[in-house]
This record gives sequence, C-alpha cells and structure tokens, in this order.
Amino acid sequence: MRQIILQGLEQVYSNLVHMVAEFLPRFLVMLSIILIGLLVAFVLRYIVRVLLRLTKLDRVSEQSGATGVLRMAHLPSMTELLSRSIFWVTWFGFILVGLSVLGVASLQEQISRLIRFLPEVFVAILIMFLGVAIANFLSRTALLAAVNAGHPSAKILSWSIRFVIWILAITMTLEELGLGRQTVISAFSIVFGATMLGLAIAFGLGGQDLARKSLERYFGDTKKEKNKEPQPL
Amino acid sequence: MVDDTFLADDLLRQLMSVGEVDLLVGISPHAAANNISPAVNVIEQAFRQHFVRQRVVIVNMGASNAAGDPDGNPVDDDVIAAGLGNLAVRNARFPGISSLRTIHRVSANFSNPPSPGIALRTILAIADLLRARACAVVSPATSNLTPDSIANLLRPIYQEKFDFVAPLYIRHKYQGLLVRNLLYPMSRAVFGCGIRELIADERGFSGRLAGFCLNQEVWHEEAIRARPEAWMAISAISSDFRCCQAFLGEKSQGMKGAGTDIVEVFRQTVGTLFWCLENQQQFWLDLDKSQLVPTFGPAHELTSEPTDLDRHKIFEMFRSGVTELEPILSSILDPETHSEIKNIVSLAEGKFRFNSDLWVRTLYDFAASYHHAVINRNHLVQALAPLYRGMTHSFIAEHENSSPAEMEAASEMLCAEFELQKPYLRERWKAKVEVKS
Repeated sequence: MRQIILQGLEQVYSNLVHMVAEFLPRFLVMLSIILIGLLVAFVLRYIVRVLLRLTKLDRVSEQSGATGVLRMAHLPSMTELLSRSIFWVTWFGFILVGLSVLGVASLQEQISRLIRFLPEVFVAILIMFLGVAIANFLSRTALLAAVNAGHPSAKILSWSIRFVIWILAITMTLEELGLGRQTVISAFSIVFGATMLGLAIAFGLGGQDLARKSLERYFGDTKKEKNKEPQPL
Repeated sequence: MVDDTFLADDLLRQLMSVGEVDLLVGISPHAAANNISPAVNVIEQAFRQHFVRQRVVIVNMGASNAAGDPDGNPVDDDVIAAGLGNLAVRNARFPGISSLRTIHRVSANFSNPPSPGIALRTILAIADLLRARACAVVSPATSNLTPDSIANLLRPIYQEKFDFVAPLYIRHKYQGLLVRNLLYPMSRAVFGCGIRELIADERGFSGRLAGFCLNQEVWHEEAIRARPEAWMAISAISSDFRCCQAFLGEKSQGMKGAGTDIVEVFRQTVGTLFWCLENQQQFWLDLDKSQLVPTFGPAHELTSEPTDLDRHKIFEMFRSGVTELEPILSSILDPETHSEIKNIVSLAEGKFRFNSDLWVRTLYDFAASYHHAVINRNHLVQALAPLYRGMTHSFIAEHENSSPAEMEAASEMLCAEFELQKPYLRERWKAKVEVKS
C-alpha cells in the first residue's frame, strides 16, 4: 500500500517535473517574445511619432476638424493617437505570438481567430476616422455657407449633414466588422429613409413660406436683394 | 528669356508680326462683358490723343467669341486681326486725331474666357516678348473707361519711370467698404506701402515688373489664378519697385469684380491678401513704418447719394453669424478678442459699435490663424464675413452724416490703429500653435 502511494507520488512528481521542464522554456520564450515586443513597440511608436510630426498630420487633422472631435472625446492629438495605437497593436501582436508558443490548443484557436480579425478592425477604425473627418468638414462647409447666405436654420442644416454622414460611417464600420450585418443595413435604410421623408414633409407642410421665398430668390427678381448690402469692392 | 511655351502658336505668330513696342494695353477677360469693341475704341483714342509717336499694341484676352461691335453684333475675325492698322480708315473714323504709328491688335483667342491669373500671365509674357516699356490692363466691363484714364495708367510708367500704377476712383461713401476697412489699412500697415486700391480691374506696370512677376513660381496657386492683382501690387512693393497711384475717375458699378456674392469676394480678396502675408513674410515681419505712395491727379473722392441699404438685415446677419459660428470663431480668435465680440453681439442695434482696436485685433487673429492653418483656410476666410458685416453696420451708423473729410480722417485713424497693433500680429504670427492633447 505504502509502496503504491509512494510510486504514485513519484509518478506525479516526475510528471510535474516533466511538465515544468517542458513548460518553463516555453514560458521563458513567451516572456522573451513579449519583452522584445515591448521594445519593438516602443521603437515603432517613436519612429511613427517622428514621421507623423514631420508630415504635420496634426495640422491636417486640425484643418479637417478631426482634432476637434478627438478633443470632444477627451482623446489625445492625432499623432499621439496613431503612435500609441501602433504601440499597442504591435505589442498585442507580440503577446499573441508569445501566448501561441505555450502550445495550449484551445487558446491557440482563439488567438488565430483574433489575428484573422485584426485587419478588419483596422479597416473599421479607418472608415470611422474618415467618416468623422468628412462629416466635420462638410458640416462646417454647410454651416458657413448657410450663415453667410443668411439662412435661418444654419445649425440644423449643418448638424443634419453631420448626423447623416456619421450614421453612414457607423453603418459601414459595423458592416466591416460583420456585426449584425442585415440588421444594421435595414436599420440604416429605415432611419435614413424616415429622416428624409420627415424632412420632406416638414419642409413641404411647415416650410411653405420658406420654400416659396427660396424659389422666389432663385427665379424671381434679385435686384432688390442686391442692394441690401453695400458693394464690398 | 521667359518660358513662352504656354503661349499658343497663333498668338506667337501674331506677336512676331508686331515686333517691339513701347506701350501695351491688355483687355482682361470679364464674364460681364459680352463685347470688347467699346474698350478697344477707347484704348485707340488714348493712343491717338496721348501717345502719337509710340509703338503700341492692344492685347485682347477675352474668349474669341466675346468680340463684337458696340451693338453686340459679332465682328469678323479679319476685321479684328487687321484692327485699325489702316491709317486712312482710322483717321476717317476719328477726324482731327492722327497717329504716326500702326496700332497693332493681338488676340489670344481662348476658346473659353481664361481665369484672371492665366490672362495676366499671358499679358506679362506678351509684354516681355514685345519688350514693352509701359503696360496697362483694363476691364471691358468698365463702362466709364476714358482715353484719359488709360493715359493716366501709362504715363507715370512711360514718362516718370514708375513700375506699378494703382488706380484711384471716385466712390460712393458706402461703396468699397472692404477696401476701406480691411484691404487698404491692413496691407498698408503690414507691407508698409499705402496703395489704396490693391484689388482693381485696372492697373499699369512696367516691362521690368512684368518680367519679374512672370518669373515667379506662383502661377499654379489658386489665390493667383483667381485674383492676381493684389499679389502683383504686393510683389512690386516688397521688391522695391517704384509704385504710385493715378486717378481714373468714377468707379463704375460694372467693376464689382467678384460680383455680389460676399463669400466669393472674401475668398478672392481677403484670401489672396492672407496668402500674400504668408508668401511675403520675410519682407514684412521686420518692417515697422509705412509710407504713402505718390499720387497723380486728385486723391480718393467720395459721393453721397442716398442708398437703400438694409442696415437691420446686415446687423442680424452679423449677430446670427457670430452666434452660429461660435465654435469656429473660438478656434480662430484669441479668447479675449472672442469674448469682446460676444459682448458687442449682445448690444442693442442702436448702441452697437465695432471699435477699430477690436476690428484690428480680429483681423490680425484671422491672419495669424490663416498662417497656422488652425482650420481649413477657405473656411477661415469665410468665417470672417459675418464680422465684416458687423463692421459694415457700425461704419454706416457712424458715418451716416459724415463729410468726405471726416471719413478720410477716420480711415487714417484706422490705418494708424493697424500700424499700432502690428506687434500683436507679429507675436501671434510667430507663436507656436500647439494642438491640444
């Protein structure tokens, strides 16, 4: 009896030693990969930051209005955001590679799925960023044009344009990520259609006078309008 | 030697038959002008009356289909090409006046009206090729162009050895407020040279200045394509060319240039001025004093017929503009300036005044923000329009009963304010703009 127990313990001990002997090098390799990844990520962040500062991305971002949105969301500047993203993506990639070295079968499957998903996440982020930048630029263009033309609802017009482009960008982003593809498209179609119909009805019924004035301004006698302001030149 | 490759073969052929000239007058393209014959006739009269012995050429920059007789009927191409080269015909048409020289006429024959930048570049290239000593550009849309006004543009260059002649006009007291309150005082303070009509359809320049401007690498710039006049004047100032002003008479309503669309006017004039500030910063950043340029003929004159301006609407557009554009203005203006503007917006229309020091600081903030490109530059220039409306309202209210002398005095005070606050512009211009993290 005692002999059996001792043999069992010996077996467990030798298995443990064998497992540790097998696991420890892999663990050390994983740690090394993660540490090297950290170093590489730091270097990449530095290089990207310098390159982006040289290309004056922040100025472009400021001009397009994207910086304003980042500020509203309490996010750092575009250069900082991108360089930090590069850092985290690089390091995360190294961590995943390191984890795969451990050889845990179920974990490996999840990791490979995650790696396959990464490009789509990148594209989704890019779509969202472009959507926000375009929405800001166009809404500001509309706001300035409407204000300078003396339009009474300049802000509403500007926000409508921003809202429609945001909705479009969010829909495209979710579709890229493959999240509820059919639902998102249907929801977008319904929201967009309803908004347009609502605007058309509102303009037609509530804004008859405005519509008449607008049409008169375009097709009617404009001589009277011209004299309301002195010639600037 | 200029790069003449952009000139069409047909145009070069016409130029070769002209040879060298003393005087050149270019007719700029203008959308409002459906025929150029009246302008050509006036130029020919100017040559006959004032420059009898000089070798002269008239250059038409309009589209080939824009030529016509005074009644708007198209003129045969052969007639245009031959021009008034035939002395007998010419003298028969204008008895008592004679010229000793052939008046050459050259037509660029663009299929569509070229942009002002392309038209000016073509005229400069022609002036350079023909070695013209004195040149002038006039607009066919100017209804009150006279032989004397053309002579006034050419004479200071040909006889007094000036290099650039800017026009001076009789104006209505409320006409040209963008010039009076922004373009003139700001350019005078910044570039140190008091040219009143920086942006005008008429101007004169020497062959030397034409060659200089032609060789500048700016012709691809949007600001120059749309409105090159201010750049030409500022180039002359900053490169030590001799500048002066000449009185041309009344400014016709046909000379509105960019039209009545205030956004377009701002893009083409204020946008170009800001672009010139950026482009010529090495010149003006260390410049302190300004000087007036010699003026031929009477100085700036004003008329004051009653007008039907809608002051209330102007004020409302200012007020709504400042309110609606608050986020944009906050990114352009200094917080203190913005706060002061918000304060005056809340005043009643009767009590509202846009003080000159606030106006100057506002413009300098805009210029510095344009330099730092804090937002899209086109948007930035457009955001100035509501503030200009505020200034316009304030000006009209203040000078409703002012005499021309009082208005001139106020204009001089505004110029002085611009000069006084120039260090503020320098400070903001040189300040590093950090994107907030």
